[in-house]
Amino acid sequence: MTTFVIARNTFGEALRKRILWIFVIMTIALIALTVSFSQFTFREQLIVIRSLGLGLIAMVGLLIVLMLGINLMSVEIERRTIYTILSKPVRRHEFLLGKFFGAMLTLIVNLSLMSLVFVAMVTWKNNWHLELNLLKGTMMIFFELLIVGSVAMLFSVFTTPVVNFFLTSAVFIVGSLSDYTQSMASAENQSIGAKICYTVLHWATPQLGNYNIQNPLIHPNAVITSELRYYVINIIQALMWTAILLIISVLVFEKRDM
Amino acid sequence: MAAAVKTEGLTKTYKLLTRREPVSAVSNLSIEVSEGEIFGFLGPNGAGKTTTIKMLLGLVYPSSGNAWILGKPAGDIEIKRQISYLPETPYFYDYMTGAEILRFYGRLFGLSDSVLNTKIVELLKIVGLYTDRNKTLNQYSKGMLQRIGIAQTLLNDPKLLILDEPTTGLDPLAHSDIRNLILKLKEQGKTVFLSSHQLSDVEMVCDRVAIMNRGKLLKIGHLSDMLSAGHVEIVASEIDDVTVNKLREYVHSVDKTEGYCVISQSEGECVNKTIDLIRQCKGQVVSIVPQRHTLEDLFVEMIREVNK
Repeated sequence: MTTFVIARNTFGEALRKRILWIFVIMTIALIALTVSFSQFTFREQLIVIRSLGLGLIAMVGLLIVLMLGINLMSVEIERRTIYTILSKPVRRHEFLLGKFFGAMLTLIVNLSLMSLVFVAMVTWKNNWHLELNLLKGTMMIFFELLIVGSVAMLFSVFTTPVVNFFLTSAVFIVGSLSDYTQSMASAENQSIGAKICYTVLHWATPQLGNYNIQNPLIHPNAVITSELRYYVINIIQALMWTAILLIISVLVFEKRDM
Repeated sequence: MAAAVKTEGLTKTYKLLTRREPVSAVSNLSIEVSEGEIFGFLGPNGAGKTTTIKMLLGLVYPSSGNAWILGKPAGDIEIKRQISYLPETPYFYDYMTGAEILRFYGRLFGLSDSVLNTKIVELLKIVGLYTDRNKTLNQYSKGMLQRIGIAQTLLNDPKLLILDEPTTGLDPLAHSDIRNLILKLKEQGKTVFLSSHQLSDVEMVCDRVAIMNRGKLLKIGHLSDMLSAGHVEIVASEIDDVTVNKLREYVHSVDKTEGYCVISQSEGECVNKTIDLIRQCKGQVVSIVPQRHTLEDLFVEMIREVNK
C-alpha cells in the first residue's frame, strides 16, 4: 500500500516534468516526419520509417530513464524530502521500490504513447496493413530500459546525479556491446589478460545488445530462430537483472545514514 | 508508564576521509523524556541536536548506545504511526498544493480519503492556510511552508511530536500561534520534543530542557530549577549607614542610592535576619523579589564557559 502511494506520487511528479513531454512530443513529430520521406522506393520507405521510429523511441526512452533514474533517490536526499517521508510509517525498501515503480510506470506511459503513434504511422504508410509486430520491438526496448533504470536506481542510492549519469551510461554502453565483448572474449588472437577482461565485462554487465531486435523487425527477411524462446529468455533475464539490482539497492539503502 | 523518549549512551561518530580520527556528532547521550512533557532540546549549531533527532527517527544509525521511543526501539515502524516530525526548514514536493501534500502524507499513515477530507480542512484551518489550500507549495512563503509542516505533524494525532525549529521564519503572529498550539498539545496530553534556538519560546512552553554542546550533554533539568539564580533582591528605604555596614558583613551586595537600599543576597543566607535588621533601624521594606536568570543568560553563560 505504502509502495503504491509512493509510486503514484513519483508518477504524478514525473508527469509534471515538462522536459519529458517535450521529448515525447518531439519524438512523435519526428516519427510523423519520417512518413513524409518520398525519395525512396515504397519498400525502402517502410524500412527507413521502422528503423528511425524504433531508434528514436529507444533513444528517447533511454533519455527518459536516465533523467528519472539518476535523480530518483539522490534528489530526495538532497532536497531533504526523504526525512519527512521516512519519519512516517514507511519502510526504506517500500520507499525505494515505490520510487522505482513510479519511474517505470512513467516510462511505460511514455513508451506506449510513442509506440502507438509509431505503429499508427507505419500502418497508415503500409496501406492500413496493421504492423503490431513492431510492438515487440518497443516491448524489448522497455525491458532493456528496465535494466538501465535499475542500474540508475542502484547508483542513485549512493552517488550524486552527475556521477550516476556517467556510471549508468557506461554500463549501458558496455551492455549494448555485449555481442562485441563476447566475441572479443573468445577471439583467438587476444592475450589472456584481454580475454579475462572482456569475459568479466561481458558477464558483469547486463547483455543489453540482446534487446535490440530492430533488424528482424525492419528487414522482413531476417528471422530469429525460435522467436518466442528468444523473447521469453531475454525477458526473464531482464526481470532477474532488475530483481538483483533492486535487492542490492535495498541492502545499500537500508544501511545508509540519511 | 514508559518514557516517551529514552536514550542510553547514544553515540554517533562519522569517519571522514580527510581525518584519521572519527568525528563525534553525539557522544554518550543519556536522556529521558516523560509522556505529556514538553521537553526543550537546546544547543548551538553543531551541538548534535539534529543528529540525535535523526537517530530517534531511525534516519541515522547510532554508532553505539540505544534509543527508545514510547518504549520501543527508535525507528520501529509501528511506533512511527504514533509520532510525528517537523524537520528544520521543511522541504516538500513544491509542485503539490497544500491540500495535496497533506493528503499524500495522510495516505502514508494509511488514512482513508474520507477521513482525510475532513482532517485536511480542519488542519488547514488550524494553521491558517485554508484559503491558500489550492496554491502550489512553490508559491508559499517560508512561514507558510513552516505552517504546512506543522499541519502534517498533526495528521496522525500523534502521541509524540518531534519539532526541529518549528518557529523558524514565522512572523510574530504565527510565532505566537505555534507557541499556543504547542501548549494546547500539552493540554491534550501529548509529548513534545522541541529543538529550538528561540530560547524565549522554550522558556515559555517547556517543562524541562537539555543543553547540548559539541555532541555532549551539558545540563538537563526542570526549567524552574535551572533558571532560579538563588538570589533574592530586597529593596528598603530609610536605612542608616550603621545598618548598611552591618548588612555588608554577610550579604552579597548592598547599594544605597537616592534613599533606597538595594540588598542582593543568596537564598541560602538568612533573609529574615536582613528584614530584622531593617526593622530594628526603623527602615521600610519596599519589596522582596527572588531573582531569576533568563534561559538565554544561562545558555550563553554555559556555552561560553565550556568553549573557554
